[in-house]
Amino acid sequence: MNENHVYDMIIVGGGPGGYTSALYAARAGFDTIVLEKLSAGGQMSLTWQIDNYPGFENGIDGFSLAEKMQKQAEKFGAKSEYAEVFNMDLTGKLKRVETSSGIYIGKTVVIATGANPRELGLAKEKELIGHGVAYCASCDGMFYKDKIVVVVGGGNSAVSDAVLLSRIAKKVIIVHRRDTLRATKIYHDQLMKTENIEFRWNNTVNELIYGERLTGVRLKDTVTGEENIIECDGLFVSIGRKPTTDFLDNQIELDNKGYIVAGENTETSIPGVYAVGDVRTKLLRQIVTAVADGAMAVHMAEEYVEK
Amino acid sequence: MTSININKEKFGQLIHKEKPVLVDFWAPWCGYCRRIGAAYEKISEEYSDILIAGKVNIDEEPQIAEAEKIEIIPTLVLYRDGKAIDSIVAPESKIMIENFINEALEKIKGGLLYE
Repeated sequence: MNENHVYDMIIVGGGPGGYTSALYAARAGFDTIVLEKLSAGGQMSLTWQIDNYPGFENGIDGFSLAEKMQKQAEKFGAKSEYAEVFNMDLTGKLKRVETSSGIYIGKTVVIATGANPRELGLAKEKELIGHGVAYCASCDGMFYKDKIVVVVGGGNSAVSDAVLLSRIAKKVIIVHRRDTLRATKIYHDQLMKTENIEFRWNNTVNELIYGERLTGVRLKDTVTGEENIIECDGLFVSIGRKPTTDFLDNQIELDNKGYIVAGENTETSIPGVYAVGDVRTKLLRQIVTAVADGAMAVHMAEEYVEK
Repeated sequence: MTSININKEKFGQLIHKEKPVLVDFWAPWCGYCRRIGAAYEKISEEYSDILIAGKVNIDEEPQIAEAEKIEIIPTLVLYRDGKAIDSIVAPESKIMIENFINEALEKIKGGLLYE
């Protein structure tokens, strides 16, 4: 690799936002590279059925959609490299990105690193991943056939995880810290139709109980303070996501949850650096909004480079 | 060289080969396994001089998975002389897989020195 090469645009992250930036950048004649640490798609690639991305009337799985986006961008000349970003220096006119496969220099940088599942932060939670603790029902659900599982959370993803698990597991117990769900109505209807789902409202999981693997969880009632243990074989944590912004090292303005502060035009606090998709502050984190960001970032970058 | 699909018969032979053998335990329904797929093939090419890379579909070969105590997929295991040297579960990047391989190879080298 030539470390003196200057790209017009370096895109960090190969999800829908990243590869849409790559598509638009390549078509604008930008010398473009996408740095991705594992595979195209990001979080989307773990979703088996996407029914709200227009143009696929029978739905499409996230992995295939990601591959299509990658191929489409590459068809117009964008490059991809397996690289995990360790450090960035974004302050200069030329931006410097240090990765597991060397240093990349670019005139503009698009940050499309997305967000990852949030952890409960309990003792032994990490060690028990794969031994009862899981974050992805569509990935690990099959291990819980005819077992009892707990799902923590009350949003759309928690509820869709619970519905999916109810088809595999014997019993699904949803633990939610409030007394109502935040999930949208289409999910409520599905829930009510499902017989093997139980609710523990106003409860949090505050301890994992385990031998060689998880055997139960201790719940605490947020109203009465009462604690009780429920036995289970699996715990699916679905309490939202946290943005992947650790590597930015305070160079860019973040909000109090760690998201990059950027509006509709995707501009960050540093000129020539754009944030697209789930990693930026926005009201609705969806594939369609991520791809829109991707196009917008290139539009802004073109103006910036011309100046 | 692309990675080899391993069945029960091949597994016993392969892990006793002269070269270290890297095995990816996976299943078609596993999303994380698919994410690793392309990077794993790249690695199997890049490391073809020093190791043999194979894959075990645990749905088709449940006996191997059980015998090797694979509880979660994707799990990558590096074997040498029939022994599992080390394993990694759901690596999050290509570089994590490479670091795992290099560390496991170091263990083998270290072990040989003291034998």
